[in-house]
Formats: sequence, C-alpha cells, structure tokens
Amino acid sequence: MQHSLYIKYSALLLALLAVLAGCKKKDYAIPTPKDVLQNDCIKRTQGPNIVGQTIEFAYAMAILAEKGKLVAAHVEASIEPAAGTWLENKSYYTNNSGVDVGISVGNPSVTTKNITTVTFNKDTNAATLRYYYVIPDAAKGQTVSFTFSGESSDGETVSYKMGPYTISKMDMKRNITISDGNLAYISIADMTAYNATDAAAKAGSIDLVYLYRNLTTSAFNHALVSPAADPQYLPGITLPTGVNRSTNERKAFNLQDYNLAQLQYGIYIDDPDFQQLNVSNEPNFAINLKQEAGVWVETADHKYRAYIYFNSVNNTTKSAVISMKRYTL
Amino acid sequence: MKKLIIGILILTVVAACKKNYPVDDDGLLITPRQECYVSNFELLGADYVTVLTKSPVIDTTAQTVSIQVLFGTDLKNLFPQFTLATDCKLDPKIVGKVDFSDLANPKEYTVVSGNRQISKTYKVLITVQPR
Repeated sequence: MQHSLYIKYSALLLALLAVLAGCKKKDYAIPTPKDVLQNDCIKRTQGPNIVGQTIEFAYAMAILAEKGKLVAAHVEASIEPAAGTWLENKSYYTNNSGVDVGISVGNPSVTTKNITTVTFNKDTNAATLRYYYVIPDAAKGQTVSFTFSGESSDGETVSYKMGPYTISKMDMKRNITISDGNLAYISIADMTAYNATDAAAKAGSIDLVYLYRNLTTSAFNHALVSPAADPQYLPGITLPTGVNRSTNERKAFNLQDYNLAQLQYGIYIDDPDFQQLNVSNEPNFAINLKQEAGVWVETADHKYRAYIYFNSVNNTTKSAVISMKRYTL
Repeated sequence: MKKLIIGILILTVVAACKKNYPVDDDGLLITPRQECYVSNFELLGADYVTVLTKSPVIDTTAQTVSIQVLFGTDLKNLFPQFTLATDCKLDPKIVGKVDFSDLANPKEYTVVSGNRQISKTYKVLITVQPR
C-alpha cells in the first residue's frame, strides 16, 4: 500500500513539473536590424531554361531609413542577354484581394551589353525588383550566372550571386497549326509544317505527314505518319515527289509538358529525356492521337530527337495545333 | 504473480503454434488451392493506354486468350497484364515490353496453381482490327 502511494505522488509531482516547465515563456525581443545595406534574391521560374524563354528573379534591397536611401540596382549576366531583357522599376506589394500592385520607384531599366540598371528616383529605402532575363541563342548548352548589386546614397554597395544555371540545348516551337491536306508535311529540322508544294521543294527534310481520317471500322482519327510507312497508314495520300523519310515514333499519353501544353501540369521535358530516348525499335507511324497526347520521334538521319505535343485537335476542320521540343544530337 | 505466469504460458503456446509455411522459389506462399486459370487479360501500348477493341475472350477449356487489337497497334512494344485465379502465378514472368508481332506463333504463358501442382499453358491469340 505504502509503495503504490509513493508511486502515485511521484507521478503527480512529475506531471506538475512538466506543466510548469511547459508554461515557462521566453521573452520576445525585437531583433536589432543590421545597420548596413542588405540584399537577397530568389529565382522565380522553374523547369528547364530554353532559348527564347525568360528566367525570372526577384531581387530585394534595403537600408535603414536614417542611414540613406536606395540609389541604383544593377544586374550583370555572364552572357549578354537577348532583346527584351529588363529589370522592373516597380516594387510590388500584394493588396487585400491578393493582387500584386506595383509602385514605380525608379526610371525604366537600361540594358547595356551584359548589365541592366535601374536608377531610383523616389526616396525609398527598401524595394524588391524583378528581373527578366531573355535567354539568347548564344547561351545554348552553356551555363549562365548573374550578379545582382545594389547601391545606397551613403556609398555602400552590396551584391548577390545567382547561378550558374544550365541553358538547355533543346529548341522549342509552340502552336504550329497543321491541317489535313494542306499544312500536313512536318519538318523537324525546320520545326514547321508545309503544304504539298513547299514539301516537294524541301523533300529531304520532311519527317512526318499529318492526316485525319474518320473511319467507321477503326479508330484512325488524327495521325502523324512517316512518308515511308506502310501505305495502309496513309490512305488517300499522294506524297509529293521525293518525300520518303522514315521517322521512328513512340506514342505518349499523360505527358503534358509545362512549356508545350501551357497548362497546370508541372511536368518538364529537358535535355536528359532526349539523351536517354531510344526509339530504334519503334514503328514509323502513330495513329489515333488525341488532344494532350504526344509522340517522341527521332529523324531518319539521327540528327534530331523531338517531342511533339497535341495542344488541340479539331475533327471538323481536320486540323490540329501542335508544339514541339527538339534536341539536336 | 499468478497473472504473469499465465501470460508467459499463453505466449509460449502462441509461439509454438507458429508454423513454417511452405514457400516456392519466388518466396510466394504455396497454398492448398487447385484453381488454375486466367480470369482477365489486358494489353497496353507504349503510351500505357489499352489497345484492345473489346473485352478479351478467355477459353479456359481450350486454354486460349483471344483478343482483337486496334488498327495501327505497334505489336512489338506491348505490355500484357494477366489476372489469375487466387494464389496462381505466371511463367514466364512479365518484366517489361513484350513483342507480340509474330502472329503465326502466338505467345504462350503458363499458369501455375496455388498448390504448385497444376499448370496450364494459355495461348494469346491476337487479331488486328481491319482498317
């Protein structure tokens, strides 16, 4: 009896102690801000960096109000950017409705060679500017890095390095309209669809023929067929002279690449996907293709590998809109 | 104390009851079941979408699975899926793409029953939908 009482009391004591310890608060102290010019940066875009697309950053600078104000912000890219690169001269805040509202804090940005600059013209001591780097053709397959820097009126400068980021070797072309009987001849090398006349002139670079057939006995529908495929997959098609390439294809479904589909899916096709692609044992035709379907292809001369995605199809006009990512071997 | 002894006794009894169940080469349980048949069959294309035009016809007497595939199906790169009777297994195992393009010599798969005593070989007969 004595024994169990002892256990009971010690347990109670322990519980009480635990409660007390749990209640102990740490006094909050307002952190003392650093009294120098500070900066920070994040990259806002995801996925592969493709030539012609932008890489977006948000660069923040701040200095204590009593010490001075912001004077200028610079971004230096290791590779000269393509036209259209700019640094925002507005600092944004998010209002109650969740909308980003920009307030102009400086002159519009000036890009000279690698360096983009915004000069502040408002008395501001904190700002976050966005930077949009348009990837130039020269950067393909290379790495690019950035140095963001800020200047304040008391003569201080800070800088923040971002990168290096690898620029994909692949090319991309979006929203190519193809139509049965007209713009039906697709060239991967040119990333373009031609009509029969132009196709005859470029016979050596025609890789696929687009056609739509509404058959009652089978599901043919939208198709991408190599000119050299078995004629049963090219019903009613008379190929222009010289169009005779054989392109291996593998159908894919549920592969809505973010860049091509421009939909909500967070799937990205990048260089490694093309490097590992092996379609040597695949057929040279793909029929019964639907919206949001795609095909992996490799050209007959083994120069290009590509992923062709169907953004939309139209059975009435016998046409489709496709987008393409292409990798040069 | 009494309770403790009883508890230990029960534990010992339970442990003693544990048997070494028989398993086969694949580490699968060998059971008393004798059922040995294919109950369903599915065939997926390279895009993991079915290529069958209608439900498969499975003849458990003739031991055949008859299917019709869509016109334009690439017969070299297909993923078959078998549904078998409880505890059965399939030989050869399906580990990836299968080439069904030789229509004259249909692929054969053997179903082995749960007790591993009965085995039946099924032929997969493919016809291609006409255009």
